[in-house]
Amino acid sequence: MLCKEVEELVTALSDNELAGPERIVVERHLADCPDCRSLYQQQVALKQVIRRAAAEMKAPLELREKILNDRRVFPPRVVTGPEPRPWASVFTRPALALALLVLVLLPVIYLMRPQSPSLALAAIETHDKITRGEVTVIRGDSPEAIKEILVRSVAGEFAPMGYDLSMMNLKPVAGTVQTFDGRRVLVALYQGDGGSLTCYTLVGTERDAPPRAQAFFDADKNMTFYSYSVGRTNAVLHREGGLICILVSAMPMPDLLALARSKAAPSHS
Amino acid sequence: MTHLDHLYRIAYNLAKAPDDAQDLVQETYARALGAYEQFAPGTHLKAWLTRILYNFFVDRHHQGKRWVSVEDSTAQKNEESDPWEKMATENPGPDSHVLRQELSVQITGALGRLPEEFRAPIVLVDMGDFSYVEAAEVLSCPVGTVRSRLFRGRRLLHGYLKEYVGTKEPA
Repeated sequence: MLCKEVEELVTALSDNELAGPERIVVERHLADCPDCRSLYQQQVALKQVIRRAAAEMKAPLELREKILNDRRVFPPRVVTGPEPRPWASVFTRPALALALLVLVLLPVIYLMRPQSPSLALAAIETHDKITRGEVTVIRGDSPEAIKEILVRSVAGEFAPMGYDLSMMNLKPVAGTVQTFDGRRVLVALYQGDGGSLTCYTLVGTERDAPPRAQAFFDADKNMTFYSYSVGRTNAVLHREGGLICILVSAMPMPDLLALARSKAAPSHS
Repeated sequence: MTHLDHLYRIAYNLAKAPDDAQDLVQETYARALGAYEQFAPGTHLKAWLTRILYNFFVDRHHQGKRWVSVEDSTAQKNEESDPWEKMATENPGPDSHVLRQELSVQITGALGRLPEEFRAPIVLVDMGDFSYVEAAEVLSCPVGTVRSRLFRGRRLLHGYLKEYVGTKEPA
């Protein structure tokens, strides 16, 4: 058999879509032909990297909320009225009824799940690791370059909160993306004469603050700031819209809290 | 939400833009519930939803309403100097989350450069874990066409991703 005749069959073999005599013929050909063997290995390797990439891609929370609020998907309940409800007939089909039940329950379970305080604490731990050089970070030529890299790494779902900390002699020098509890977190590292500070941005709620954090309500900005510490490292968490920002630094807590309050955009929600 | 991540992956790689992908998925759920009578209990819900999504994508795509850009800026961006490429050579640790993210970005970009006829079978089979028969049903084409397009599409894709796949090109 010629290599040209085998090429597509090699593709099918790599997908486990080849059986019977065809499979035997192709396997024999691969045993004798290094080029086609290489093609096979190439197909398998390519398939693996695509699968890995797929595993990284999750539907954004924003989309879940859109679907939950879509009246075509979840029409408002009809409480009274003699008219027959077309939705009632859905439940005469067990498979679809089960699918709908899952559709309804999963987001509820997701939203009701206890928020892990470990995320907030992990931010402090990661800050310490970054300052010790134990976490790989990407150094960028400019704040814009760092931001662009981080935004791309979450497929444009959200952007890192960017603060001008030049008054504190701090400037953004690097970034990285971390996953805590399956949630993607954008990390920007600020360094300078003023020491170092890491700024974490993630999709979340104020329930991400540790239970023992001290809450401070800023009436001017209509925002609550949560401060907490581990050892000599301090952190301040606050929410801006659907995003959570955690600033972590060894600077004194009053300074860090003042910094967060001065830089946070006022909340209207 | 049932198969939400799967549908989003497929939509994102077909439409190549997050907003369009979200529209596709949201519309898919709405259409699926509107057409529940067509769903046969015991059949593959994931494939049924994917088919609705793909048909909607094709309708929109061919109407040229919102997502007509096949050769868009994604291809250009990949040709420009990319800081992630530098990152790959400096930090080759295979377990790094950052590297996985980078790989994901590169693959999404490379898939976006493929013509739709090659991209769709790869997205379904490699990302969606569909069999050739299932992919052929979604795409409304013969199984042999799926196989052929997979071969040709992967050959192109490998050309774009040589440095990440790590196998040498056959002579």
